[in-house]
Amino acid sequence: MLQVEAVVKSFDDFMAVNGANLRVGKGEIVAVIGPNGAGKTTLFNLITGQFKPDRGKIIFKEEDITQLPPYQICKKGITRSFQIVNIFPRLTVFGNVQVAVLSHQGRSSNLFRPAQSLAVKETKDILEIVGLLDKEKNIAGSLSHGDQKILEIAIALGNEPELLILDEPTAGMSPEETQATIELIKRLAQMRGLTILFCEHDMDIVFSIAQSIMVMRHGQTIIQGGLEEVRSNKEVQEAYLGGE
Amino acid sequence: MIHSKWFWPTASIFILLLILPLFVPRFYVYILALIYVTSLLAMSLNMVVGHGGMFQFHHGVFYGVGAYTAALMLTKTSMPMWIGFIAGPIVAALIGLIIGWFCVRLTRLYFAMLQISLGSLIWAIVYRWYSFTGGDDGIHGIRMPSLLSSLNSSYYFILIILVLCLITMYMILKSPFGNALQAIRDNPQRCEAVGINVRRYQLLGIVIATFFAGAAGVLFVVLERSVFADLLFWVFSLEIFIMCLLGGWFTFLGPILGTAIILTLRTFVGRYTEYWTLILGIILILVIFFLPEGVMGYFQEIFKPRMKGMVQGGKTIDAAG
Amino acid sequence: MFGPAELISQLLVGISRSMILFIVCAGLSFVLGVLRIPNIAHGTLYMIGAFATFSITKMFAGSAGFWIALIVAPLLVAVVSLVAERALFCHLYEREHLMLLLFTFAISLILGDLVKIVWGAEYKSVSAPALLKGSISLLGASFPRYNLFLILVGPLVAIAIWLFTNKTRIGKISRAAAVDREMVGVLGINVSWVFAIAFVIGCYLAGVGGALVAPTVSITLGMDHTLIIEAFLIVTIGGLGNMWGALVGSLIFGITHSFGVLFWPQFAIVFPYIAVVIVLLLRPKGLLKSVW
Repeated sequence: MLQVEAVVKSFDDFMAVNGANLRVGKGEIVAVIGPNGAGKTTLFNLITGQFKPDRGKIIFKEEDITQLPPYQICKKGITRSFQIVNIFPRLTVFGNVQVAVLSHQGRSSNLFRPAQSLAVKETKDILEIVGLLDKEKNIAGSLSHGDQKILEIAIALGNEPELLILDEPTAGMSPEETQATIELIKRLAQMRGLTILFCEHDMDIVFSIAQSIMVMRHGQTIIQGGLEEVRSNKEVQEAYLGGE
Repeated sequence: MIHSKWFWPTASIFILLLILPLFVPRFYVYILALIYVTSLLAMSLNMVVGHGGMFQFHHGVFYGVGAYTAALMLTKTSMPMWIGFIAGPIVAALIGLIIGWFCVRLTRLYFAMLQISLGSLIWAIVYRWYSFTGGDDGIHGIRMPSLLSSLNSSYYFILIILVLCLITMYMILKSPFGNALQAIRDNPQRCEAVGINVRRYQLLGIVIATFFAGAAGVLFVVLERSVFADLLFWVFSLEIFIMCLLGGWFTFLGPILGTAIILTLRTFVGRYTEYWTLILGIILILVIFFLPEGVMGYFQEIFKPRMKGMVQGGKTIDAAG
Repeated sequence: MFGPAELISQLLVGISRSMILFIVCAGLSFVLGVLRIPNIAHGTLYMIGAFATFSITKMFAGSAGFWIALIVAPLLVAVVSLVAERALFCHLYEREHLMLLLFTFAISLILGDLVKIVWGAEYKSVSAPALLKGSISLLGASFPRYNLFLILVGPLVAIAIWLFTNKTRIGKISRAAAVDREMVGVLGINVSWVFAIAFVIGCYLAGVGGALVAPTVSITLGMDHTLIIEAFLIVTIGGLGNMWGALVGSLIFGITHSFGVLFWPQFAIVFPYIAVVIVLLLRPKGLLKSVW
């Protein structure tokens, strides 16, 4: 479904990504792992259009999306959650997700009908799936950190994506919250047939849900493959000596 | 809507304002009308700044363009006067579209600078083109349609247009577009990620706001029967900013309150001293230090403690980069 | 139409006026670079410099007054700015930029009216000192001596600023603070004092500009408002915080204006604005690199 081919991205003189490859098949759960500074978030930013690669291609469903701006990439069916919480702090929880849903329905430029009566069912459905329905009227900025990260995912679901990219979805969460999030990710993959691409530092999470793992180091892809393949690879073991 | 708790208080105020000219001296009728005109301008600025998060530092240009368009059409052409009235907001919105199109590609300070430079260019041309625009003398003694010949009839006209514009602005702000605009203010990056073409929405917001600014300009001409180049000068634009800030720019009606306070103070302080600018500066400093949410924002904080954690002196404008 | 003598003469007039703009804009740019705030009151401080020069020149008979004013007026402006900074401004550094900008606007309003209170509303004028009065003949056209003086002073000030920012400790710290204020704080330097010093120096330059401009224009209320817009635009097209950018921007502004005077006097002030618009459309971030 998604192919990333030999992308390179540097900022001034710093090579953030230097030849990364990635394959994500439809319906798969794929994880990207690597030590800090390996270029994972930059790679995600390249896929979703926040940056343009210096070289290389990104192909989604047979279409070259390398040069598209973020909002068009979203319309093609790829959405993401951000590593650092990136919600709308002044809006309610409901409002946060509704923005995405309305955008997906193409209703965002509607000037004349009151927004609060639109897309209510779809928004509540999403809130229910992620478990935030009881907090829908809270102002998003006042939620706990863990809940805000879940809200991140909920917003990304608003656009009914085919490929959902999660950037460190459990960072900063307590063990209970982490467990709940893992369950949520599994549910999303099963119930909605979503393809999920994520990156994480916690290896237990990665090995418990990912079907295919891509390992990055110094901006390059070392290997991509199934659990056993990756675990037994010499380079991967080297990269993690003294690491996570 | 009739059942909303705001309906009867609002309706009563409206009726009160309607009958006011019947028993209040001329001077106060004039001041009220001036407040209406200026608050329409302040509301339109707030749409871009408070709800849209953009650094619209030269909004006065669109007010001035609307006013000058109406004035020039009324004095230089023999077209029906109502056409001049409609042309004002339309030309203002067109200029808003052009200036806005260049500005939305930039962020914050650069947005502001480009707008100030384009706006000052327009000011300079109007200021110097004596033969056409009256230069720094302006244009005076503009004749109004007979329907609007008296102060009272002008007052009613202005009030009705103001209310219509306010209702429209409210509907727009509560619509999905208005929501998206506020979302863009708080987090444009997130909006891009959910499929919103941020620049296009910002541009549309600017065009709408400048349309209303142009309308306010036309109302100015109706009230004052003249135009001045000062309307296009940047100092005036910043004064409107102060009115929005004082009233509370994350609220809907805040700017009206701010305008009313400033204009009332200016009129009455002006009787005792010619140093109104000094007082305005002191007020601004007090607001910055003690009331950054504005008067209305302050009251909202008191009555809605749940929001208290969130409403933090406009910090989110900064985060919206 | 216009002979080469007139064109060159007008070019030199433009350059001399640019020098005053440059000195003022260098100050504005310096403050902008270190504190990251465009100081709207900068124009009002320039105006105070001009009015103070008027008063000081009147106090002393003969030409000595002007030379004394050139030294004292900017110091006066610096003191005013220090008071404003320590009493009010420094408490706002944690707030977002919009508030700081509006604060400088408030100061400009207050100081503007204070000028009206102290000096009244009529035009004032200052005559140039005897040494710089009159004109000399240059390439067949007559050229005011005072303008020549300005053309010499400008580069001197530029060199002084360059030496300050590159060779003195305070200057280097200011430059570092412009790029990364947190690092500077971590190094144990009191950032608040760095800001205060940078602010005062920037305002001092505004005072110098005001003193220098005094013999060339009528000193009026409202000169602050026209100047500050020009200064803002110059600083933006030059590149924020960049002193050489301020020089380039000032030259563009001054020269287009003087040629505007030559070719279309009625719309002379439109020419610089058009030049600014063109630059901003092509290079919205300014011609030279901004400090941050």
